[in-house]
Amino acid sequence: MKAGIIVFPGTNCDRDTFEACSFFGWECRYIWHNETDLNNLDAIFLPGGFSYGDYICSGRLAKFSPIIQEVKNFIKRKQGIIIGICNGFQILCETKLLPGVLTTNINNKFICDDTVLTFQNTEITLPIAHKEGRYIAPKGKNLCNMMFLQYKNNPNGSDYDIAGLYDRENKILAMMPHPERAVFKETGLTDGRKIFEFIQKELNK
Amino acid sequence: MKYYAEIKVTLKDGIKDPQGLAAETVLKRTGINESASIRAGKFFEIELEAAKKEEALENIQTICEEVLSNPCLEKYEILKVKQV
Repeated sequence: MKAGIIVFPGTNCDRDTFEACSFFGWECRYIWHNETDLNNLDAIFLPGGFSYGDYICSGRLAKFSPIIQEVKNFIKRKQGIIIGICNGFQILCETKLLPGVLTTNINNKFICDDTVLTFQNTEITLPIAHKEGRYIAPKGKNLCNMMFLQYKNNPNGSDYDIAGLYDRENKILAMMPHPERAVFKETGLTDGRKIFEFIQKELNK
Repeated sequence: MKYYAEIKVTLKDGIKDPQGLAAETVLKRTGINESASIRAGKFFEIELEAAKKEEALENIQTICEEVLSNPCLEKYEILKVKQV
């Protein structure tokens, strides 16, 4: 399994994602946003952070980076899976690779906390750290088959408690919580491993 | 020729605006105004080169749609376009 981790100016979860992927024995490489080579990769991560300083709106300016066109080609070729975490989710919505949009939390605060989620009919706990995580669903679109991760106590006011979406057909997975921060026992939670195992399983399908 | 434009970007109707809601709470608490409704938005100034006004307007619309707003969430209004 080979993973590529895209780095935009302002990305700050690239190293965490690298270490988490390595824990599963995945071979990783960083990809600067100006590059256009996604050859020989099975999984592409758009990690968390503040790409382009979240200027104008989170994820808005990152959608113009050259690598995004290559991400679209990667999806078209059905080469593998795309995973957007936090800012990565915002970027995927801004590029319209996923429906809807993420905006300011309903309490107007940056929320940094552990949160309980529903994942495959079980409860898992993952950390969240965002100010713009309130998911707004597009009108008239049925998202039932895309909802793969939901908040139990909806901390940010997201529509339908959505914490993550998965477009199974195009293999585009995205979530606001940080599974890469919940892999190593030393940092507390380990439920993030379940998300990485899920990614591996989906890729093998 | 050089053109100048002013753009207003606001949340679409029906989308809750936490900044506006917080400001409304303060207005009520202090008694400044109990009935005021506030919606926050963004204001942009653009200066660009274009051969004529129609071309400038077309460019400004593209900028608004692609960079300054997201139609899922926001609406934009071009408040002013003038030659400078």
